[in-house]
Amino acid sequence: MAERNTPRKTLESWKQIAAYLDRSERTVRRWEASEGLPVHRREHEKQDTVFAYSHEIEAWSRSRTKCPGITASDLAETVSTAKPPANGYLLEHDAITRTMHCYIAGARAGDSELMRPAFQPTATISGYCQGVEYSGSVQHVFHWIDQNGPAPNISPRFARIEIIETIAVVHLEVQHWSGKLAGADTRASDVFTLLKCDGEWKITHKLFHWHAS
Amino acid sequence: MTKSEYLTEYDGIAKTIQMYIDGSRQGKSALMRPAFHPDASFFGYAGEQLAAGTQFLFDWIDKNGPAPDIEPRMISVDILDSIAVVRLEVAGWSGNLAGSGVRMSDLFTLLKTPSGWKIIQKAFHWHAAERSRAA
Repeated sequence: MAERNTPRKTLESWKQIAAYLDRSERTVRRWEASEGLPVHRREHEKQDTVFAYSHEIEAWSRSRTKCPGITASDLAETVSTAKPPANGYLLEHDAITRTMHCYIAGARAGDSELMRPAFQPTATISGYCQGVEYSGSVQHVFHWIDQNGPAPNISPRFARIEIIETIAVVHLEVQHWSGKLAGADTRASDVFTLLKCDGEWKITHKLFHWHAS
Repeated sequence: MTKSEYLTEYDGIAKTIQMYIDGSRQGKSALMRPAFHPDASFFGYAGEQLAAGTQFLFDWIDKNGPAPDIEPRMISVDILDSIAVVRLEVAGWSGNLAGSGVRMSDLFTLLKTPSGWKIIQKAFHWHAAERSRAA
C-alpha cells in the first residue's frame, strides 16, 4: 500500500489547478462542470474556496470521458479509457447530469458560453422575476447570466431526475445565488425539461421560480 | 403555502390538465387550447420524427379524432409556488393517427398566471406498441 503513504499534494486554487493541468482557469472550470474534474470546496461565510488533490486529478485524467460542449482542442488531449457504467439507466442519468453541469458552470461563472451547449437552439424559458413574467427564448437566460456575472457561492442540488425513455425532467434547487441581478443569497427552483436528441440530452425548457428573500 | 392554498393550487392544476384530457378524448383541440400558455412549447418523438410546436399537437388531436378509451392517470404533481410539474400517463390511446391501445407518457410544466394555471410545455414519449389488453 505504498500509495497510501504518499503525501497527498493539494492544489489550493483554480490558478494552481489550471497550472497543474497546464490549461487556462476557464478550461478547468468547464472541465469541473461538464466532465467531473474532481474539485472540492470549503465553505466559508463570504465565499467558498476550491481545492483539489493531485492524485484525484491524475485518476480523472486517466479515466476521462468526452462530453457535450467539448472543443476540438480538448478532444485532442482526451485519454479515451472511459469506463462507462454498465447499466443503461445510469448511463442516461449520468449524461443528463453532465448536461446540467454545463448549466451550473455557466451560472457560477456568469458566462453563458459555458451553458449554451446544454440547450437546444429552440429552447424556451418561463417564470417570474420580481413579479414580471418572462416567457420566451432561452436567449433571455444567456443575456441574464452574462449581465449577472459570477455567482461563486451557488449551491445546486438535484431534487429530482426523472427519465422517461426520450424525455426527462430535472428539478434543480439552487441556493446562495448572487450577482448584479440576482442580489445576495437568493434561492431559485428550476425545472428543466430535456429531450434526447441525436443521442445527446439537451434542455428544451427551463421553468423557474425565484423565492422571496 | 397553507393547506387550503395547496388544495386550491392542486385543483387548479388538475382542472387545466383535465382540459387536455377532454380535448384528447374527444379529438377536439379547441377544448384543450385554453389550457395552454400562448408561448407554450411541445416536444417529443413520434416514431423517428421529432414533433415540435403546439400547432403540431392541436393539428394532430383534430386529425386523430376521438379516442374514447383513453385512461389517464396523474402520476405526480409537484408545485413550487408559481410553477408546477405534472407527469401524466395515458394508456389506451386510439384514433386515426394513434392506432390502437398505445401508451403515452407526458411531462407537463405549468406556470401560474393571473388567468389560472397554464401549460407552458408538454414533452411526451410515445411508447412503442404494447399489447396492453393481452388476455
